[in-house]
Amino acid sequence: MSRFLLGNHVQNARQALRAHRLRTFLTMLGITIGVASVTTILALSAGAAQIVSHQVSDLGGTIAVVRPGLASGNPIAGLAGTGIPHDFATSTLTLDDVKTITKVPDIKSVAPLMVLSGSVKGDHQAPTGTPIVATTPALRETDDLTLENGEFLDDSLDPNTAVIGPELSNRLFDTEESLGKTVSIRGQKFTIVGVLVHENSPVNYNNVDFDNAVFINVESGKAINQGMAQIQQINIRAGSVAQLPHIISSVNSLLYKTHFQNKDFTILSGSEIAQPTSQLYYTIAGVTGAIAGISLLVGGIGVMNIMLVNVAERTREIGIRKAVGAKNSDIIWQFLIESLALSLGGSILGYLLGYAIAFAISTFLPFDPVFNWQIGAVAVGIAFTVGLIFGIYPAVRAAKKDPIEALRYFS
Amino acid sequence: MGDSEHYALDGVDLTIHKGEFVAIMGPSGCGKTTLLNVLGLLDTTTEGEYQLDGNDVSNLSNARLAGIRSQQIGFVFQSFNLIARLPVIENVALPLTYKGVSLTARLKRASEVLSRFHLSEREYYLPYQLSGGQAQRVAIARALVNNPSIILADEPTGNLDSRASHIIMEELSDLHQRGNTIIMVTHNPDLTTYASRVITMLDGRIDTDTATLTPAVYGLPKRPLGVSKKPAAKAVKVSRKKTKTKGRAPARRKVV
Repeated sequence: MSRFLLGNHVQNARQALRAHRLRTFLTMLGITIGVASVTTILALSAGAAQIVSHQVSDLGGTIAVVRPGLASGNPIAGLAGTGIPHDFATSTLTLDDVKTITKVPDIKSVAPLMVLSGSVKGDHQAPTGTPIVATTPALRETDDLTLENGEFLDDSLDPNTAVIGPELSNRLFDTEESLGKTVSIRGQKFTIVGVLVHENSPVNYNNVDFDNAVFINVESGKAINQGMAQIQQINIRAGSVAQLPHIISSVNSLLYKTHFQNKDFTILSGSEIAQPTSQLYYTIAGVTGAIAGISLLVGGIGVMNIMLVNVAERTREIGIRKAVGAKNSDIIWQFLIESLALSLGGSILGYLLGYAIAFAISTFLPFDPVFNWQIGAVAVGIAFTVGLIFGIYPAVRAAKKDPIEALRYFS
Repeated sequence: MGDSEHYALDGVDLTIHKGEFVAIMGPSGCGKTTLLNVLGLLDTTTEGEYQLDGNDVSNLSNARLAGIRSQQIGFVFQSFNLIARLPVIENVALPLTYKGVSLTARLKRASEVLSRFHLSEREYYLPYQLSGGQAQRVAIARALVNNPSIILADEPTGNLDSRASHIIMEELSDLHQRGNTIIMVTHNPDLTTYASRVITMLDGRIDTDTATLTPAVYGLPKRPLGVSKKPAAKAVKVSRKKTKTKGRAPARRKVV
């Protein structure tokens, strides 16, 4: 097929589709709805998947985390709640490990995270499951925490001091101005010395919503946990990105040695930290996207239906074209390009509509939809697949028409 | 079924030379249109041979046949057969599309041909805005746009009044003067005066053919038949053609 012929087919398709605007619009609408739902789902889930990796990159890519046990890497297990153990299980990481890691050169700061649960009470009772994070003052540096009021935990302060997330402060005291108030954690009284700034990132690599958590000193944490340190994670912050690789390898060999050659810990950095969360969201996106794909099937059947009507209506035109020298393949291409134009047009509309919906929804969510070439490619890919699959049969039917019968056809 | 088999064409042996203006006459259902379709490569015979320019076309693929239609044959139909959705100029340019001519070249050429038929002001009219005579002139322009050597016209004046008919016939005659081969099916005996050769058909056979009559019997043809000058070079030859038809409608050409 020559270049000119292709141009002619495209022009022809435009004229033919314009001749029946309403019909064209309604047919495209089927594809539009399908592509819009797929686009919305993909854009939002990519946004959700990027939350954690954004947090990691916001810290300049200088963060590494040590977690007990070997990474399962199974997002479905995480979905079922059997992923990272917050409670009950005994951690293989200890406070000694934190001390060991601190000795590694070039490390800016190291902070353990020991997440407990238990009753938290101020003026009101906090909801069950409110995370109690026992950590060291270094957490402020590893995680770039900012305080709304007061100061962060400090070794020079009384051990019975606590820092509180703004949401939790609201729940306990109906105000974020809770400095100096007393909070009772597992029956132990703590004085609030600081309130964090709103982060609004309930999903993060610490697996703790800092807005809803209360922070106490790791020693106090041990005290209210029958003297046991239950460390779920150790955050390591390097001075610069370049130093991170050798820090990780030093930490790895040191811990391996102090753990008596047991590889019962995992060190994650960069995108690895975000991976389990991202995979989880991509899995969810895959499943919901496939369901949305069913509407594309319906849209495709609509395209086929209309193309069959087009072919029947233009039987005489097909006869004329054949008489003046069109090959069967020319007729096939003409109608195939018309169906491709239908589905491509619907797909572009759907892509735009999908993002409009995604942005509308994202105003209620803590993340934004993502623009990337993959989603555009999916939309275009859908268009071509639907256009081809549902356009080929009508096109072949058109090409098979006998020119003499076709010329005699009365519409 | 109870219906006997029926041949739309049976035992036709015909040679048409380059530059002839052949008028084919005969009652409805005698096979005129089928003959024209076979000559135009839209239809194929169940038996027999058709040589175009000395080459047998019966074994050519559909794509090759389409190629020959595109290069050498122009059709003019009784019902004009313009594409209603396309303006006049694009209808005329249509055959060039399938020759792989660029859009600008197509439109330029179509415009030239239209001006020859005094239709330059109608270039962007849609077919329904034209009178019958104008529409048929557009159709002839379309048939001519890629300089075919053979023009096949199936009752080109069938839907026109006598005035428009004569204008169309003058155009065809003019084309004939320029050297095109024209084969025209008609019901109107008056129009045969434009032709250099008249064939009458009956029941799928050739009944009379002025080429086989002596000039003394029929009168001299308007133009020499040119057999001696250009022997088989551009000859259209149809011999012993049989196209079977089944069913009552005699002109149907469903191949059994």
